[in-house]
Amino acid sequence: MLRKEINDLLTQTGPGTKMGELFRRYWQPVLLAEELPANDCPPVRVKILSERLIAIRDSDGNYGLMDEFCAHRGVSLWFGRNEEGGLRCPYHGWKYDYTGQAIEVPSEPATSNFCENVKLKGYPLVKLGDVLWTYMGDPANQPPLPEWEAYTVSEKQNFTSKRLQECNWLQALEGGIDSSHVTFLHSGNLNTDPLFKGSKGNEYNAGDLKPFFEVVDYEGGLLIGARRNAEEGHYYWRVTPWVLPNFTMVPPRADHPMHGHFWVPIDDDNCWAWSFDYHPTRELTDTEVEAMRAGKGVHSANDDAYRPLANKDNDYLMDREAQRRGETYSGIHGIALQDSSLQESMGPVVDRTKERLVATDAGIIKARQKLRKAALALAEGVEPIGNRPEDQKVRSVAIVLPKDQPFVEGIGEAMVAKPGVPQTTV
Amino acid sequence: MSTPVPISSSARATTTEEARYRIDYPLAAARNTRVVALDEAAEMIVRAASEEDWGQARFYVAHDPGHDLITMAGETVPLAGELEQSNTVVMVSTAGENSEAAATIGAACKVRGIMTAGLVITPGRLSSEALLTLRPYARILLVPADEDDLVELLRATRA
Repeated sequence: MLRKEINDLLTQTGPGTKMGELFRRYWQPVLLAEELPANDCPPVRVKILSERLIAIRDSDGNYGLMDEFCAHRGVSLWFGRNEEGGLRCPYHGWKYDYTGQAIEVPSEPATSNFCENVKLKGYPLVKLGDVLWTYMGDPANQPPLPEWEAYTVSEKQNFTSKRLQECNWLQALEGGIDSSHVTFLHSGNLNTDPLFKGSKGNEYNAGDLKPFFEVVDYEGGLLIGARRNAEEGHYYWRVTPWVLPNFTMVPPRADHPMHGHFWVPIDDDNCWAWSFDYHPTRELTDTEVEAMRAGKGVHSANDDAYRPLANKDNDYLMDREAQRRGETYSGIHGIALQDSSLQESMGPVVDRTKERLVATDAGIIKARQKLRKAALALAEGVEPIGNRPEDQKVRSVAIVLPKDQPFVEGIGEAMVAKPGVPQTTV
Repeated sequence: MSTPVPISSSARATTTEEARYRIDYPLAAARNTRVVALDEAAEMIVRAASEEDWGQARFYVAHDPGHDLITMAGETVPLAGELEQSNTVVMVSTAGENSEAAATIGAACKVRGIMTAGLVITPGRLSSEALLTLRPYARILLVPADEDDLVELLRATRA
């Protein structure tokens, strides 16, 4: 249960809001590189953190993200002509470079300095891996580029997708932190999904339906350890890292690629669920990539606008027969849609004054507390955590440990991303 | 011609407008929580929390062997009686003392089907005697917990 004012604080990320200011201290994924596939390609509308923007890739390959609307009469630059080193408004020909700086105002005399004083609000747009990232805060506070392992390995070791999720970002994030739902909601998928099946860990999952949890506070965020009984004298641990404000990773299974998410607010009622898979030591196989493109694992099959084909307009293609047969627990196919269908069913922004949390929701309780404290502290001038490269070199872990060993001790360096070192998995 | 959206469909049911029709009624405190301090420093944290306004939560100190609890008013009461109506027990430890009491409380909760949580309040330390003391008996552990995590947990669970 949260008081309304705390729920508002955590869920509102527009300009000037406390959580919005916190988000504006982190690099965030904005577009897949495939959305701006070539120099002078069509511009793309972007909405992130409740700001309407336009993204371009200019004639020289520079990426830019700027206010969507022309400074002159407020026309959407989505209709613009992306050519000859800038984006030209089709209404009166005003032209902007990739930073948002006006470089031509045809109605002014050729020698006029008018356009020097016209600049659209603009943000850096940087390609890392196959994703374009932006930083929307004060340039003076810009952190180093992110160093998430998924985006420091070669592009052939990574597959990233995004899907529209039609609810507030915090509902989606909380699903990523809440390990206890896997036992129910995703139970039908562990042994059938090609990106999950074949793991010894699946047997431990099936053999112990009441896991114990340890929520460990660490510098970048939280480590949520779920422990189940393994062989005599041992526990099977699945360790999920959450790094402020919106990064989570799923513990690995066998030698399958590792996966995780960023939950990026579009506005207060919608978010992008970014889903990635990568393998730290090898390229993904064609079979794995094919499965990911087909919506297996943490991905979804989407339309051209990255909205899942199974969505609320078609009741997520609910399959009651599959539910009855036990193939799916909720009747919805695919892990990603199993999550988003339920999270969207709560409504755009769930009323957390009405919830009844239980002790096993402690990870969610603690994450909310850390987000609230970070947002309030930032307003008082305290720098946030999670935006430093050392916070980002983190991995999820699956491991079997002796019962008397604290999991943080047991996993040791396994949660630290190191180039060329295999993941720790069961 | 567009297809009408059925009134029971997810598309309509998930809108902000429809959220207005969710039944609004007061929620009773579902948690009947017992909070137990296992050492002196933990007692200070638990005592401070006990001074806030709670639904049905009650607060205690336990020493080995843990068959009795001591209320914040200093009264000694039998553990079994205090667990009768409870559905959650939160144990708080800073030092790993009174491990026998933790075991007694944990075992009593297990046979009664009472959820157990543990707060290991050891700032800056990820591993401690307190952790080892609570781990076998707490279904959920916060490690290392902040002092205000107790109040946060109790509020969030409507204690």
